[in-house]
Amino acid sequence: MNKKLPILLLVSVFIIATCGLIYELIAGTLASYLLGDSVTQFSTIIGVYLFSMGVGSWVSKYFDKNLLGWFIRIEILVGLVGGTSSSILFLVFESVSSFRIILYGLISITGILVGLEIPILMRILKDRFEFKDLVSKVFTFDYIGALIASLVFPLLLIPYLGIVRTAYLFGILNVLVALITCVNFKHEIKGAKYLQGASIISLVALLTGFIYANTITNFSESLTYSDTIIFSKSTPYQRIIITKKGRDLRLFLNGNLQFSSVDEYRYHEALIHPVLQAVPDAKHVLVMGGGDGLAVREILKYPQIETVTLVDLDKEMTKLFRTNDMLLKLNNRSFLSPKVTVINADAFSWAREQHKVYDAIIIDFPDPSNYSVGKLYTNTFYGIVKHLLKPDGIMVVQSTSPYVAPKSYYTVEKTLQSVGLHTVPYHNYVPSFGEWGYIMAMNRPVYKVPDHYLPGLRFMSKQCLEQMLYFPKDMARVPAQVNKLNNQILVKYFEDEWSTVL
Amino acid sequence: MSGRLFYNRASGPKPLSRRSFLLQAGLLTGGIYLSGCIRKISGGKPEYAHVKGKLSGPNAKAGHALRDKLPMPAPSSQQSVKTLIIGSGISGLSAARWLKKQGETDFKVLELEDHTGGNASFGTNSVSSYPLGAHYLPIVNNYDKPLVDFLQETGVITHFDNKGLPFYNEYYLCFDPEERLLINGHWQEGIVPDFGVSDDDRKQITRFFNLTTQLKNAKGNDGKYAFDIPLDNSSADETYRKLDRISFQDYLKQNGFTSPYLLWYLNYCCKDDYGTPALNVSAWAGLHYFSARKGTAANAEPNAVITWPEGNGWLMKQLKASVKDHIQTSSLAYDINIEGNGKVAVKVLDLKKNTSTVFYADKVIMASPQFVNQKLLKNIPRPGFDVSKLHYSPWLIANLTVNEIPTAVKGMVLCWDNVAYNTASVGYVNANQQDTKLIENKKVITYYLPLCDKEPRLARLAAYTRTYEQWMDIVITEMEQMHPGITEHIEQTDIWLWGHGMIAPTVDYIWGDNRRQANAAINNQIFFAHTDLSGISIFEEAFHHGIRAAQQVLDHGAA
Repeated sequence: MNKKLPILLLVSVFIIATCGLIYELIAGTLASYLLGDSVTQFSTIIGVYLFSMGVGSWVSKYFDKNLLGWFIRIEILVGLVGGTSSSILFLVFESVSSFRIILYGLISITGILVGLEIPILMRILKDRFEFKDLVSKVFTFDYIGALIASLVFPLLLIPYLGIVRTAYLFGILNVLVALITCVNFKHEIKGAKYLQGASIISLVALLTGFIYANTITNFSESLTYSDTIIFSKSTPYQRIIITKKGRDLRLFLNGNLQFSSVDEYRYHEALIHPVLQAVPDAKHVLVMGGGDGLAVREILKYPQIETVTLVDLDKEMTKLFRTNDMLLKLNNRSFLSPKVTVINADAFSWAREQHKVYDAIIIDFPDPSNYSVGKLYTNTFYGIVKHLLKPDGIMVVQSTSPYVAPKSYYTVEKTLQSVGLHTVPYHNYVPSFGEWGYIMAMNRPVYKVPDHYLPGLRFMSKQCLEQMLYFPKDMARVPAQVNKLNNQILVKYFEDEWSTVL
Repeated sequence: MSGRLFYNRASGPKPLSRRSFLLQAGLLTGGIYLSGCIRKISGGKPEYAHVKGKLSGPNAKAGHALRDKLPMPAPSSQQSVKTLIIGSGISGLSAARWLKKQGETDFKVLELEDHTGGNASFGTNSVSSYPLGAHYLPIVNNYDKPLVDFLQETGVITHFDNKGLPFYNEYYLCFDPEERLLINGHWQEGIVPDFGVSDDDRKQITRFFNLTTQLKNAKGNDGKYAFDIPLDNSSADETYRKLDRISFQDYLKQNGFTSPYLLWYLNYCCKDDYGTPALNVSAWAGLHYFSARKGTAANAEPNAVITWPEGNGWLMKQLKASVKDHIQTSSLAYDINIEGNGKVAVKVLDLKKNTSTVFYADKVIMASPQFVNQKLLKNIPRPGFDVSKLHYSPWLIANLTVNEIPTAVKGMVLCWDNVAYNTASVGYVNANQQDTKLIENKKVITYYLPLCDKEPRLARLAAYTRTYEQWMDIVITEMEQMHPGITEHIEQTDIWLWGHGMIAPTVDYIWGDNRRQANAAINNQIFFAHTDLSGISIFEEAFHHGIRAAQQVLDHGAA
């Protein structure tokens, strides 16, 4: 009898147990990152996983001959499925309609395979050990492995390797167990050479995945974002990043925060309702920017609205917010409404060619942090937009922070005024942004403060707007100039003012 | 980086003797040819092997046919026309437009190229249009009525505010950010050196600008501006005119301007506008660059410029619009005679059909450069005029289609005009600056290289000898210096070579006798319109020469 056998196989039990629990933790973590609601996700994941293990244990009785060979095959399979699981989940996350099927499918397959491991192993060992000794040894190592896994996963693996690389690492360990077993027992196994080849190929594949995991989720990015990155994509126009921490989902475009799901209602209610409550019979609304569909969500709360036209440059962005389950929940499926038309075009060029007029226009562009976006804050652009606004319509412009960047804020106001619009500046506090500013602009000189608001709003009310219209001394109007295509002062102000805080 | 100028020559242009010219020419062209051969033999692919493109320029074949007096086919037809305009650059088109405006219909414009425009020509590829020469116009002097009218006609000036100041079309006023300079390893905003410049240098720079601001408003004892556009409207006061008799370089030395940064900047300006450094231009011309433009606008700074993707090709198209049907391209005028019956006979070769026609015209406007006119008017004397004293600067223009410009970690982002300190070129211009699109994936940039390191004749000869690859070695090296790693992002580079790019305002040319004689009409039948009659190659001068010559035709036609 081979003396090496028990120690080697018990080490395998330890590794198998660790790997098994790691895959379970990965699946649970990914599910709660990607789908939210961690209690439900974790408990259903654990349930499905344990149940699948039971299925695996039950199936194990159908394996009769060549048990060592089967053990090696299963190890290779566990390594491949478990190792690539988090990459697969990240990659399919975009087309989310099938995401749950793939998620639970992967968990079931991993569970079944892991469930097969221990019964088969016990049967391999049963002739070489006394039964009570065997049970005690196998389960001892199994539970020690589980303890180690549950400790290193949150403390070492996630912070230093990231979730994708962790999966690959444990996939590699599983396949290594297969390979070592294969090499050591090549005389007892049928087709040892073939199994050895298969393990080496799998090992190379997993190693490649481990090395190139960066392209799936950028490790350096995960260091710059304090929360976990659950989605990242470079489009021709920008880098889209979505992070998640607890219930907080955040969207970043080129590293700039666009919203936090915790407090975005404060921003979007403030952006939309002071305008739409003051244009009670508004039927046609234009939104420029706002590819997340959150402003549109607020607009659709008014039943009399007939059409919403949204112009956003980035096709990938609007596609993401039209297909992803979690994001659809956030924007209340606004892009799927038949009232909404999404146009992926360059706002400046698009607006120049339009003749149709709108009751309300929402301008929700990124901040003027470079000369390209700066063009969308010029008198020339506002002159064009003015022609798209009905005589009694109202437009609103998100205009950066009047507290951090008063010069920038009042430059936007001055620029709107320069094309003959009357302005109503207002501001509110959005915790993730800080003190934030908006400017309404209209052809008629008087803005009638709305008396009431839609029921069910979480932030806006009559009293609230009264406060928002008041500017304390530290945000009082400062002298400003007009921002023009041939003199983009706003970009310079914006950079100066924000560089002092960032 | 030191502040020393990249060229180093003794003061004053030195005329070459014929023998020394031939020797230098032989060595130079031989050397270039040899280096081309070595290149070919040694093989190996350059870094830019993936770049598509070609070397082209004005129709050299036609030009040489004229120069070398090749036999032409005998005229097989004849035509009569009241006024014949030779050349469809800005001067020729401006003359044609003026005739049309005054109700004339019987006139023709001949152009030897297959396209109109002269120095305001442009090209177009799948990404953008781009200039092949002149690419902008500074906002114009408010009192320059003909030009203001033209700009208003074409929508460049949209209206006037209640103070009477012109409102320029915001799509044409150069978009911000306008200019940057790579200096001391850093891209700074603006072209006047500032980053890493000492206080002493700064003081001199300020002193120079104070001087030119003062000269901007200065008037001579005849009440005229010291420096004006068109320059013939400038004061005759000797205080200013005598500045034409010394070089700009000597003038700067005499006035204690020694800062290498200031001198670099002023040399850059001379190269940019005149194609040759301060050494070779008169002080009057050097100061004219800074002090003649007094335009103000309701919606732009006094030094603002207007520009288009195709550069002044846009203005050229506007001038052309009303006279399109009068233009005949691929037509080389090669012989002009005044007939006994008082007509001017102009023999014209159709370059496409290779047939000749004689045009009998009452009046001819020669809107072609004087070095060409000399060949056409070989039987007609122009007393007191010596064409050999005119210096034309050769230029190289490279249009690069790039899918990305690698950005510096710090410093100013891509601007309209991008210049590097102490380089041979005057930098490059972003042809897509006036695009309102948020993000363009590809753009065309236009690189300008005045070939002024040698005497113009030698530089021209050397330029004609170089192959596309040899030019690429020069262009790519400099682009890499500005933007390390840009080569792999260059998709196409089209190189355009101007042998006689523009007239240089050499010492004593603008207010000397030669230029006065060059402007003299012949027999009240042949009139001249070209920027080489000013000595300064700018749109405004060409525009006014055209109108002046057309008006001369009209005045003499009525008599």
